[in-house]
Amino acid sequence: MSKVKFEKIKRPEKIGLPFMLDFYPLQDEKNTRISQFFKNLKQGHLTTTKCKKCRKLLWPPRIVCPECLSENLEWVDLGVEGELYAFTEIRLGAPLGFVEDVPFCVGIVKIGSLLISTRIDDAKYEELKIGDKVRLKVVELPDRRVFYRFYKTKEQ
Amino acid sequence: MRQVAIVAGGEAKAGRRAASWRDLVQEAGKALFEDVDNLSPKDVDSIFVGAAQPERFAFLSYVAPLVAEYIGVTPRKVIARTELACVSGQAAIRYAWNCVATGMSDIAVAIGVEKMYPPDMAEAQSTMACVLDREWDGVNCFSAPPIFAVTAQRHMYEFGTTKEQMALVSVKNHHYSSLNPIAHLQKEVTVEDVLNSRVVAPPLSLFDCCPMTDGSAGVILVRAEDVKKYTDTPMYLIGSGQCAIGNVINNLASLTEWVPLKLAAEEAWRTAKITKDDVDIAEVHDCFTISEIMEYEGLGFCEKGKGGKFIEDGEPYIGGKVAVNPSGGIMGCGHPLGATSIYHAIEILKQFRGDVDRGRYVKGAEIGIQHSLSGAANQHSILVCSREPR
Repeated sequence: MSKVKFEKIKRPEKIGLPFMLDFYPLQDEKNTRISQFFKNLKQGHLTTTKCKKCRKLLWPPRIVCPECLSENLEWVDLGVEGELYAFTEIRLGAPLGFVEDVPFCVGIVKIGSLLISTRIDDAKYEELKIGDKVRLKVVELPDRRVFYRFYKTKEQ
Repeated sequence: MRQVAIVAGGEAKAGRRAASWRDLVQEAGKALFEDVDNLSPKDVDSIFVGAAQPERFAFLSYVAPLVAEYIGVTPRKVIARTELACVSGQAAIRYAWNCVATGMSDIAVAIGVEKMYPPDMAEAQSTMACVLDREWDGVNCFSAPPIFAVTAQRHMYEFGTTKEQMALVSVKNHHYSSLNPIAHLQKEVTVEDVLNSRVVAPPLSLFDCCPMTDGSAGVILVRAEDVKKYTDTPMYLIGSGQCAIGNVINNLASLTEWVPLKLAAEEAWRTAKITKDDVDIAEVHDCFTISEIMEYEGLGFCEKGKGGKFIEDGEPYIGGKVAVNPSGGIMGCGHPLGATSIYHAIEILKQFRGDVDRGRYVKGAEIGIQHSLSGAANQHSILVCSREPR
């Protein structure tokens, strides 16, 4: 037996999902200058910024218009309905924090001129088709942050 | 601007390796300097390290000096890491090329590395899913397979492309990789194998997707007038094109037409003073089967929407219109992000040297292109390589 000293040391057995591996953005005014987006979403409104100078509709919301550099932006309501532009279903390879949800659908929803990526809830892949009408829903995380998702409406 | 050539290439075996991030770099560095005469690591004045996500995959940052130390290079001119997701390796070649062309450097190394098999696969997937805008697309689980799945779905919807046509890309590339000793996957697959493999994100199945891969590869760049000191078989860099449009899904130019690819290709042909018909070898970014089909179209090898027919007709095979991915591509060789483009540049060098298996040798090839894309295919990069100086 070697004369070298051996010792077992302690480490935390389990570490919760660290902030830097959390996909959801920080939403309050201390952490972002677009906190209004999340305040609106809490009220059931999906909104984005539109440039008051060059009239460009911007997604995602900004604090500076990349077209004309204006900071004079206004919040506009995108409504609650969209059309399914494309979709798939996550069956393998979900990231941390989403593994428990597998399988689930994700897609791109067309709202006016915008193509917004989103989770598509309450439907299996086989039940969806391009052009389906989908409707906004708001999900709340345990820490009260919110995010938008869409689901397929009964009336098509 | 001075003309620049690649005089050496060295690779680690790609695959699911029982080796660490820094083991891979040492293997590639050794192979690189053994591939060149009259040049040792101490002669290198500049180094660029292509590494996409070492912070996540290896919990390392500030990796350029680490790599330089491990391969014995002490740069006195320029040193930096390059990051452009899946194109990080080509970015390293581009910067090295620029430095040698402008005279800032005389001997530059571009080396890429990625270690993609950590103990926890969900953590690796988290790493991949922060390439697309994490707060607006990644948060919806749009990592690589889902974004290329919806791209494939729209391509099928708009142009009638079929899953069988997509499977043919996998069949071709696995065939060539079965003849490539450094490739990750060395087993042939059939159309049925592809169609019956596990669904990852419909319409994409497992064999529609490239594997996650550990690997490292490097090249040495010098000015053309110095080439003869180091090798009889150099590869000249004669043109390039690179274009990025938008980032978040909403701001892509189009899901089904890769406009940045088209523009990068036009620029590559213009700067190299060639046309698409001069291309003998196209090492392109087949991260998913649909990608290669859209690259036939974007590079102008066939009409828009006819990429599926192009492979059905056998045109991207050796002996067809253009040899596409005779290495086996990313699909067969694997995709160690920071090293991928460099492996494929070395493939063209080996083809020019005739240093490949006869079953995948493109005889008499004079012009090869190395194409890489990144993110949601919003960024495309093309290098034009020539056997002869121009």
